[in-house]
Amino acid sequence: MPTAPPDSPDFVERLRQGDRAAFGELVKTHHNMLLATARTLLSPADAEEAVQDAWIAAHRAIARFEGRSQLRTWLTRIVINQARMMLRRGGREIQFDPTDEQDALAHRFRADGHWQQAPRQWELAGPDALLTREELRRCMEKTLGRMPDNQRLVLELRDLQGMEFDDICNMLDVSASNVRVLLHRARARLFELVDHFQETGEC
Amino acid sequence: MLKCRHAVDKADALVDGTPLSRRERLALRFHLLICHHCRRYLRQLRALLGSLPRQEDALDDARTQAILDKLDPPQSH
Repeated sequence: MPTAPPDSPDFVERLRQGDRAAFGELVKTHHNMLLATARTLLSPADAEEAVQDAWIAAHRAIARFEGRSQLRTWLTRIVINQARMMLRRGGREIQFDPTDEQDALAHRFRADGHWQQAPRQWELAGPDALLTREELRRCMEKTLGRMPDNQRLVLELRDLQGMEFDDICNMLDVSASNVRVLLHRARARLFELVDHFQETGEC
Repeated sequence: MLKCRHAVDKADALVDGTPLSRRERLALRFHLLICHHCRRYLRQLRALLGSLPRQEDALDDARTQAILDKLDPPQSH
């Protein structure tokens, strides 16, 4: 789980007073994570732009930061709003209502709800351990790239950045049940991918 | 009886530490006790999520400075 940066009252107060060094520290600590979040919705170039604009917005607003949320949550919300604004400019909108699709594991169950094709035993240790293999890593990136952006975003926030469900729901203005459905589908896709890879050695 | 299909759906709650009702929790625990496929699913899901690449690196000084340079100039009082 990512280590939370120092959100000490002291640090927050320095930020609110416009302390340049403190803001630099904030940028240093959070930038790459924010960029990863923006990239779930935007192209790499647009993501850079969105995060830079988010820093400008955060810098303007920091004097009014009330400390009701963590700095990380506050910044992520700004980045996501910025990204959604850029999407809207391109005529796109991110939807959080899950569609009727079935998850990626659905075909592996019989009609009676039992496994038709159970998960195989994965190699979890040794030189072939999960994700230490370059091919699997590439495969994973491809799968992430093809995932619907709402699933990718929720997976990033929860499983890669370890954010709390409540924070994610507030940030996206989405119900907990929708977040859980999207997250489950994202995880099912990854599970299916790794299971297939373990069986065939191919993507 | 809880079916595998539902155990897999509920496995997320175990991974996330989401509270389940007592009845749901017992049904899931019992299912996992008797079903090694679902136990394997849960174990491997945890391993998978634990091995996802995380972006935690701090930004280097030069790029941090480049971002600071684009912020509004400090207000003069």
